Amino acid sequence: MIRHSRGSRSFRVAFLGGLLALGILLIACCAVTLSLSRSISKVTSTSSSSAPTMPTDPHSAMLAVAVSPEKQALLQELAGRFNDRRLHTPDGKVMTVEIRAMDSQTMLDLALRQALAEGNEPAPIQALNPDSSLWLGQLDRTYAEQVGAGETIAPRIIADTVRYAVSPIVIAAWEPVARDLGWPDRPVGWRDIQRKARADPGFKWNHASTSHASGLLATLAEFYAGAGKVRDLTVEDVQAQQTLDYVAAIEHTVRYYGESETAILERARAEGRQFLDAFVVQEQMVVQFNREHPPERLIAIYPVEGTLWADHPLALLEQPGPTANQRRTFQAFREFLLSPEVQRQVLAAGYRPADLSIPLDGKGSPLTAANGVDPTQPQTTLQIPGPAVVSVVQDVWWYTKRHTNVFLVVDASGSMRGEKLEAVQQALHVFLDQIKGDRERVGLIVFSHQVTYIEPLAELGENRIQLEQAIDRVQAGGNTALLDAVRTAYARLRRLGEADRINAIVVMTDGKENASGVSLQALVEEIQQGNQAGPPVVIFAIAYGRDADYDVLRALAEASGGQVRQGDLDTIRQLYKVLSSYF
Amino acid sequence: MSRTRVVFFTIILLALLIVAGSLAWRALNRPEPLAVTPHGPIQVRVITALPVEPWVRAAARQFNEDKHKLEGEPIQVEVIAMDGLAALGKWDRDEFGVLGDRSPDDLSAEEKARLSQFPTVWLPDSRYLVELANVTYKERLGRDVFLTDGEYRARPVAVSLFAWGIYESRAEVLQAHFGEINWRTIHDAAIAKGGWPELGGKPEWGFFKLVVPNPRKNVGGLAAMIAAAGEYYDRPDISTADVTNPEFQHWLGELMSSVTDVSGGSAYTAEDFALFGYSVGDGGQLLESDLLTNMAGIETRWADPLRIYYPKYVTWFDFPFTVWMGPETTALEKNAALEFEHFLLSPDVQRQAVAYGLRPANPEVPVTEGDSLFVRYQDRGVRAVVPRTEAMRSPDRDVLLALLRWFDLNVAQR
Repeated sequence: MIRHSRGSRSFRVAFLGGLLALGILLIACCAVTLSLSRSISKVTSTSSSSAPTMPTDPHSAMLAVAVSPEKQALLQELAGRFNDRRLHTPDGKVMTVEIRAMDSQTMLDLALRQALAEGNEPAPIQALNPDSSLWLGQLDRTYAEQVGAGETIAPRIIADTVRYAVSPIVIAAWEPVARDLGWPDRPVGWRDIQRKARADPGFKWNHASTSHASGLLATLAEFYAGAGKVRDLTVEDVQAQQTLDYVAAIEHTVRYYGESETAILERARAEGRQFLDAFVVQEQMVVQFNREHPPERLIAIYPVEGTLWADHPLALLEQPGPTANQRRTFQAFREFLLSPEVQRQVLAAGYRPADLSIPLDGKGSPLTAANGVDPTQPQTTLQIPGPAVVSVVQDVWWYTKRHTNVFLVVDASGSMRGEKLEAVQQALHVFLDQIKGDRERVGLIVFSHQVTYIEPLAELGENRIQLEQAIDRVQAGGNTALLDAVRTAYARLRRLGEADRINAIVVMTDGKENASGVSLQALVEEIQQGNQAGPPVVIFAIAYGRDADYDVLRALAEASGGQVRQGDLDTIRQLYKVLSSYF
Repeated sequence: MSRTRVVFFTIILLALLIVAGSLAWRALNRPEPLAVTPHGPIQVRVITALPVEPWVRAAARQFNEDKHKLEGEPIQVEVIAMDGLAALGKWDRDEFGVLGDRSPDDLSAEEKARLSQFPTVWLPDSRYLVELANVTYKERLGRDVFLTDGEYRARPVAVSLFAWGIYESRAEVLQAHFGEINWRTIHDAAIAKGGWPELGGKPEWGFFKLVVPNPRKNVGGLAAMIAAAGEYYDRPDISTADVTNPEFQHWLGELMSSVTDVSGGSAYTAEDFALFGYSVGDGGQLLESDLLTNMAGIETRWADPLRIYYPKYVTWFDFPFTVWMGPETTALEKNAALEFEHFLLSPDVQRQAVAYGLRPANPEVPVTEGDSLFVRYQDRGVRAVVPRTEAMRSPDRDVLLALLRWFDLNVAQR
């Protein structure tokens, strides 16, 4: 019994010990199981996330912003300061903003292209910052037409938008010109400019093309005046012959168009009143100009019929969708732009800040009468028609604008061989693509040791294909008879003598003049005398590469009231594109 | 073999069997996660209507700093600003990417990435937008994705209403000329051929310019058009037949012809009204909270204060906090969303809403405490208690779509 009870006790002890061990083992097993399964799921999740590689980093916190050129410097500086803060997303990525300057039309084309792109190619830009919301409306409309036809709630590219700086568009006139127009005794408007331009052939004014907010506004004002309306402009109004005739008559008084407000201001700075009497720009440009204490100041005229605001919207692109981190960067950059410190800097740059608590007439504000502006203006704005009418105005403008006779004079000497010539050929195609109007006349002169090819001036509706083919056929070889080629183009334009058109030569060379019969001095005198005697021919010169004869080109440009630009392999396309906006 | 050894080896064998069985069970029957398993904090993504976004964003920041937790995990709230109509369009087109009948394993990498950003909460301008989105999903999935009752129901977190905001110089002229400011007198001002001089105003003011948000970009624009219809018919409920009535459409067309800009990408809110001043708009019916938050700025920038008038039929926005009920978000995320909702409804955060010109959803919080915007601008016509309380009824989907179509054809493309 005793043994039995002893044996039974030891069994009970062993049994209890076993149960305890089992319990410990079970807990250990659970822990091991959990740990193993976690490891397995970790491995699985890692492999699944890495399996189909997405070209765009789904965690990218880099926001690329396309910015219109006139505020590139300001935005570069602000983006730099933002990046210096090294803000982090919750997953540890550094938020960065990259500024990419491009004109409004280019950024819209790019935004649309990347929104419609199939596949997972990385989008070059995630946000836009054009000069006006007008372009965003057009972008949304075009996108909806292409992908959402028939949908009641149309898909949009633009969702989140913020304004950090605004500036009304004004007519900038030299003070004596402004007084002559009636300022400050009575309100001055678009009609006064139009009247003056038609009555006084010596009156020189300019506005940018309709792909800039200022150019579009000036053109809309002409269409309103032509239609005899101040609001409710319709497609029918725009297309009416009476309106077209009126607008064409006004547009023929424009000296020439231009690439941007910045370029206009630079020339006004360099040439003063000789350049233009009046031009259409943002108020901020007038402030910026007058703060440099020029010999003669500009006055901002707020058109009595109404103006338009350059509202510089910063807009996040929803298509293709930004990453969560890019959205966070956008939000952080937005808050940075609206911070009191940056808003004061925006005011100091001559813009009206979005922060309404900052008074425009406060101490230190540059928006003063001394700087030619009035912060209580404008009193009213011109009614901006819907995107459909705006689009028709832009199209019709090509028919009503002052037409052009332009000769492209191209160096095909031996030094142009290889990629240099290829780049120029591409650039010439870009130039032609940019000129939409078929009534513009374009000719081509190719030169090396002499003029080797001439495609006569003709309306693009007739010779566009011949020009494209001739450009593709250009071959390099021989010396550089630059002056003879320019003289050939000049003589042909002079012979036409068409005062109602812009007459211009766009000449490009990469080398030194060494083969012409005519001397520089003789040609310069011929141009100066010819331009005084008849319709002026303006020369836009491109010094292509480091070896180009810049001085000769500058002499030709200055003699004609034109300009000279420097280009290289990387910039030549853009340069030709920019120059196309003058026509 | 002794009994002890038998017991010992049995236990070892059992343990090994448990480990192997458990691993096999997990491998074969791995539970499908409801969504991408959250790593780190529980993410609550809130698609937020623009009028309440500044308040909700500030509250979210505070909430995140307070380190709220659920089941031991920290909650992180992220606010995504989006107009109610834009969000409705995204729901309609299923741009957020619901799973439907698919398993998360069937998704492409891009779809998975999108699903990881699926909204936990939608906080639109008005309850009727939620109802419209829910109807769409009910047709698509056969179930409700937003609830109207129970713990996860759509619940207002603040309210505001539409009121007239008119620059004082212009309001005085209008009152002298018409006596009362309502949609009918505004219509008459809009069609005055001689512009402001005909009404007794200054020539440099040009024509009367009405501010109506672009209804394609801001649901407030639709609300304004529905309110105009209410006063035109002198009743608070509007049908499709009402908005397609040619006489009404002609009247509305005349009214909308005085809107300065419908072309832009801007939603055109009261903020724009303040930023561009009387140059783009003399007055309009806008959200009271937007008007209130911009009153000070308008006085600083334009030296011409705004007058507030309340319309006969009041349109309310109730900003419902609406939790997505589909499997695209986890139960933990849904409950974390409720934590944030309770935070928004807490008296302190509701008091902060008043600072943004919003009327609190929590009835215990008054709008007249201290120097609130409602107190500060009493002299400009702001009322803590809305004098007239007949509310416009929520329009149905067909009325909204008919108005949008009319707008596209007659205003946006003019």
